[in-house]
Amino acid sequence: MSDLSLDAMQLDRYSRHVIMDEVGPAGQAALLDGSVLVVGAGGLGSPVVQYLAAAGVGRLGIVDDDVVERSNLQRQIVHADADVGRPKVESAAAYVRNLNPDVTVETYETRLAAGSIDEIAAGYDVLCDASDNFATRYLCNDYCVLTDTPLSHGAIYRFEGQVITIDPGGDGPCYRCLFPQAPEPGTVPDCATTGVLGVLPGTVGCLQATEVIKQLTGIGEALTGRLLMYDAADMSVETVPVHRSPDCPVCGESATIDSLDEVTYEARCTIPAK
Amino acid sequence: MEWKLFADLAERAGDRHLTVDVEPGERVEDALHALLDDHDDLRERVLDEDGQLSDGINVLRNGSEIHTQQEGLETTLEAGDELAMFPPVSGG
Repeated sequence: MSDLSLDAMQLDRYSRHVIMDEVGPAGQAALLDGSVLVVGAGGLGSPVVQYLAAAGVGRLGIVDDDVVERSNLQRQIVHADADVGRPKVESAAAYVRNLNPDVTVETYETRLAAGSIDEIAAGYDVLCDASDNFATRYLCNDYCVLTDTPLSHGAIYRFEGQVITIDPGGDGPCYRCLFPQAPEPGTVPDCATTGVLGVLPGTVGCLQATEVIKQLTGIGEALTGRLLMYDAADMSVETVPVHRSPDCPVCGESATIDSLDEVTYEARCTIPAK
Repeated sequence: MEWKLFADLAERAGDRHLTVDVEPGERVEDALHALLDDHDDLRERVLDEDGQLSDGINVLRNGSEIHTQQEGLETTLEAGDELAMFPPVSGG
């Protein structure tokens, strides 16, 4: 898409992007041509969906198998009070359609699984992992490494967030380099048990949306090779260098995962010994 | 020597910042055991059934991961070192 393909309405809508040297008409056209699959329409997925839609990402896929509950509304800001009981993908898609007619929304009211991720995720330029469980997180990581698809990972716990960008085409690490397998079930309490500061996924999801926009436009330095750890209570941010692990089971020198069929994506996301 | 703990590790230890009585010249492993000696809940979380550091637990010395960038638990401590330990989190 050339800059001439931005019509008058789009030049107006995206004018604050278009006038930036770093984005410009070409960057905006790249966003309009881009496609992103957002996995999870909860706390993290809400701001991701909102900002990617506002930025004019041309095709936005949203995957979630949950319905909106009243206890979600303290942080999942893409949903409204009247949406309680409605599938999250429906209310998120309605929000996008209402915000920006340039965006085509595709919804998948399902839980991503090894058997379905190929069909759902194929054709998207970038995946954004805004899920709430380790099984989906390891599935997204392994799928992206095996298919060479950029992935933004974000996760939260009470007051803290972790964000990293995985670009399998580069020489940086993947999620399994950092955490080879999930913790034993039950060792890490979930949001329902521990609570979560409502604004936290807003901050972390916005970091993910930023990284996705950078991937689509090629702007700046990606958050690859470093894990960003945010602490809302301390109001501190640390970025820790992370290196590709030669022992990584999916991207290491003698990787043992070459197909999603080999992994049990529940509990610890382990691979059978070979 | 000071440890900084993240996420549920801090909750198990009861604090995000903990000081252990370990001297320069000792190893990261000594600082780890000094920490765990006082915190059984944390020991159960970060060590596997063989007493080894669990796969998902990352230990940093001065912001750098000890296994990939240093000498692992054998790394020698120096005065003023900062140690940190973090697990994966999954909330969304």
